Amino acid sequence: MVSSNRMLAIDARDVEKTFRSGWLRRRETHALRGVSLAVERGSIFGLLGPNGAGKTTLLSILATLLTPDRGQVLVLGHDVVREASVLRRRLNMASGRPSFLWSLRVGEIIAFYGRLYGLSGARLRRRVETLIELCELQPYRRVPYSDLSTGLKQRVALAKSLVNEPELLFLDEPTLGLDPDVSVRVREHIAKLRREQGITIVLTTHYMREADQLCDEIAFIKAGRILSRGTPGELKRRIRLGEVIALRLDPRRVTWLAEAPGVLRCVEVDGWVECTVDEAEKRLPELLRALHNDGVVIRNVQVREPELEEVFVELAK
Amino acid sequence: MSWRNELLAVWAVTLRNALMGSRNVFFFFELLFWPIVGVLSIGLMSRFLELTPEQASFVLVGTIALSVINVCQLEVAYAVLLDVWSKSLKHQFLAPIGIRHLTLGSWVVGMVRSSVVFVLLTVLGWWAFDFEVLRPGWLALGTFLMGCFLTAWVVGVAVCALITLFGNRAEAFAWATVNLVLVLAGIYYPVSVLPDWIAVIARAIPLTYFLDAYRSYYGFPSEFATPVATGLALSVVYGALAHWAFLAAIQRARRTGLLLKMSE
Repeated sequence: MVSSNRMLAIDARDVEKTFRSGWLRRRETHALRGVSLAVERGSIFGLLGPNGAGKTTLLSILATLLTPDRGQVLVLGHDVVREASVLRRRLNMASGRPSFLWSLRVGEIIAFYGRLYGLSGARLRRRVETLIELCELQPYRRVPYSDLSTGLKQRVALAKSLVNEPELLFLDEPTLGLDPDVSVRVREHIAKLRREQGITIVLTTHYMREADQLCDEIAFIKAGRILSRGTPGELKRRIRLGEVIALRLDPRRVTWLAEAPGVLRCVEVDGWVECTVDEAEKRLPELLRALHNDGVVIRNVQVREPELEEVFVELAK
Repeated sequence: MSWRNELLAVWAVTLRNALMGSRNVFFFFELLFWPIVGVLSIGLMSRFLELTPEQASFVLVGTIALSVINVCQLEVAYAVLLDVWSKSLKHQFLAPIGIRHLTLGSWVVGMVRSSVVFVLLTVLGWWAFDFEVLRPGWLALGTFLMGCFLTAWVVGVAVCALITLFGNRAEAFAWATVNLVLVLAGIYYPVSVLPDWIAVIARAIPLTYFLDAYRSYYGFPSEFATPVATGLALSVVYGALAHWAFLAAIQRARRTGLLLKMSE
């Protein structure tokens, strides 16, 4: 038991958080309702959920920015409430809507936070240079923060979040609002951080593809509760959405497809007819035979697992 | 936390505030415009009322003290305000630092800036109104300035606590309260002319004692037995209370989520 706990970067049990607002603070919003979570060291863990699900609240509690009302939260073996100051040295955070002092320059922002984490002199200068290079910020070193584009601001946030060489990194929607090419590079950075430095990463995202690509494990959170968790593959299987047989053919000839045995639903997407079936291995030969007998010309066939997005939609219902 | 890291964290905040201040034209406006307007107005009024040189010094000491405290306390409040305005508060409190680093680092910049204001105003007072700042001697002057800086620290930390407690909508309220309290400290008049119940409040303000001690060198007998010691003792008590209030406000902000609301 002890050794398995040592392998955990995060061990949260029955965490509850309620926000109170309004006149006499009578209006209550239950942000987290008994969330339990275990994240292994060195993994990338994704928190997915609709707006207001409790993702940022959970992340903020894990990062010591918010105190839980109930439950026990151990991060890197430290209690997030009682041992917060020790813990803060070992973690860091970046968000998709970063904000820093407007007239400080890129290098000065990273150096300021570096000093807060105990860096000085040549060590600080080296660290700032490394991060500027890592996040491709060399041309912007002397540019004030307020003059940077959204993508550059997010790169500054990422650089700042790495200044203390954290063992645990929280990324709150790290690619929010970024151009696709920049998003790809940020994802590559994240994957590289885990691969080369062994950093445990917990990220929240709205982008299913991002979670699918990056995360070893994912938890779906809705209305303050974790609805399901597992590897992307496990989740897809667990939700039993079925597999998808995509056929390139003339859709006008196959109106009967949706009624065929084992077909759960049938939709037309970009010239493909996508049939979600209970069991692809069994249904594919049956469908192909039926289509052949009907004289339908099949130009292409693909079989794939459901997208994580479909899992998300199903869970968010 | 080691001494090295303690000093480094204070230095980080000092450097940050100094950089921010050096790049904002309005900061220079705060530094020069209003303090100079204050000294010129009061000095000219003292000439119009045909006050004696001692009486003119009495009111000029109060005016200069008010400017020094205002500039210094504003800088201390920047410990939180800069991050509140830029919505970057959470990054500061995610780092392994305490509020002591924030307030001390800002206070250092505040003392430097308000020292510049003090020198400018005393030179202006000497040139325009024959104000002799060094008549009480260097020790008395140093004690008086330290009293002003301590008062500014208490006020600045109290403003930080109020803003962290109620959000940035509390800014105006915080400064209105602070200025009211300072005016009660006998900036332009001795405490003895105040109605009894207001005098009680004035006697609870450290600045009252530092002004009293400094003005005694200009021919106004001290109203208190040990003004400097009393002023210092009150400053320490209020300083500890303000620090505790700020700490409690931060803990509450972590509990209620205000810390996040005031961030990104």
